[in-house]
Amino acid sequence: MGSLYSDIPTWLHRVPAGLKLLALAGLGMGLMGAQQWPLLLAVSAVCVLIFVSLGAASVRAKPLVMGVLMASALVAGFHVWMAQPMLAAVTVMRLISATLMGITLTLTTRYTDLLGVFEWVLSPLQKLGLRTDRFALQLALMLRFTEHFFVMWRRLDDAYRLRTGQSGGFKILAPLTIQMLFTTRRVADALTLRLRR
Amino acid sequence: MNTSTLSLALVSLFAALIAVFGLIPKIDLPLGVPITLQTLGVMLAGCMLGPKRALQALVLFLAAVALGLPLLSGGRGGIGVFFAPASGYLIGWPLGAFVTGWVMSLLPTSSPRRSAISAFMASVVGGLLVVHVCGVIGLVHIANLTWEQAIMGTLVFVPGDLIKCALCATVVHTVARGLPDWRFGG
Repeated sequence: MGSLYSDIPTWLHRVPAGLKLLALAGLGMGLMGAQQWPLLLAVSAVCVLIFVSLGAASVRAKPLVMGVLMASALVAGFHVWMAQPMLAAVTVMRLISATLMGITLTLTTRYTDLLGVFEWVLSPLQKLGLRTDRFALQLALMLRFTEHFFVMWRRLDDAYRLRTGQSGGFKILAPLTIQMLFTTRRVADALTLRLRR
Repeated sequence: MNTSTLSLALVSLFAALIAVFGLIPKIDLPLGVPITLQTLGVMLAGCMLGPKRALQALVLFLAAVALGLPLLSGGRGGIGVFFAPASGYLIGWPLGAFVTGWVMSLLPTSSPRRSAISAFMASVVGGLLVVHVCGVIGLVHIANLTWEQAIMGTLVFVPGDLIKCALCATVVHTVARGLPDWRFGG
């Protein structure tokens, strides 16, 4: 399973992940409080320019951008229908600015770099007894289990088809869950051995 | 078996289950209302893992989404989704899973039938009510809808979510028969 990160280098790829996340957090908080439409218009214009400056790297995010535009059009249409055009404009500008910058961050930052920032941010929680160093391991396990789910689903579906001549559909969800729980117990045993080394 | 590594593996498993449900295409009810299966994953995580581990599973899943993995239905992912109008529902998932697990831990699970009924009730409270309340709050604050508009907008998804509660109860019933030693609700 691939991430949404784009390998095509842009000027934003060189900016550290932590700095980009901080800028996005600041933008998000600022947008939530801003009501003046000239300020929002200026911020939206800058955000669109930043996104467009990514050039070919932004092509990968086309489905996401279309989704944002559709959601914005629906929200704007609703507010206009309720005779609130200014509210429509303010809401759409906030939505487009924040989501475009979120998409830009995702396109230009490797998930391993973001993971490093998240682990650093969460590290003070270790004093409260939380094992934040296991986060990367859980993420890797999650991805591995996702692939294994499809393998197991296919196997159970094939067995169901052999017996009944039809696809199992949701009937195999419960046996799939049981099989995955058994797998998890075996994985936990293996982890106990490895993590103690 | 070390319970710490079992918890680690179970949290990852149910985060993966929610990712798998996001990869399954949505089902359209009459009148074009879509049902996606990811809230079923939220309900199952709560009923099967209990409040604390279910919360961890959903936090792990949302962290993976924030890192850019396209795990939401329709191949969506990245930090941008947390600024969209539906982000209230996303934030509601960990809370919904926690409440589902908490309610499940309070209800009887001494037989498969009782476990299924408890799972249905826990799913309605956590997976349906809590998630929709968070979704409505998100719609009010991000899409600037009024409370009445947001509530009316969210009600259309309730029939599909009730079906998912029933499906969750069915899965719990089968797991209770197949794994009699499983502790529902953590």
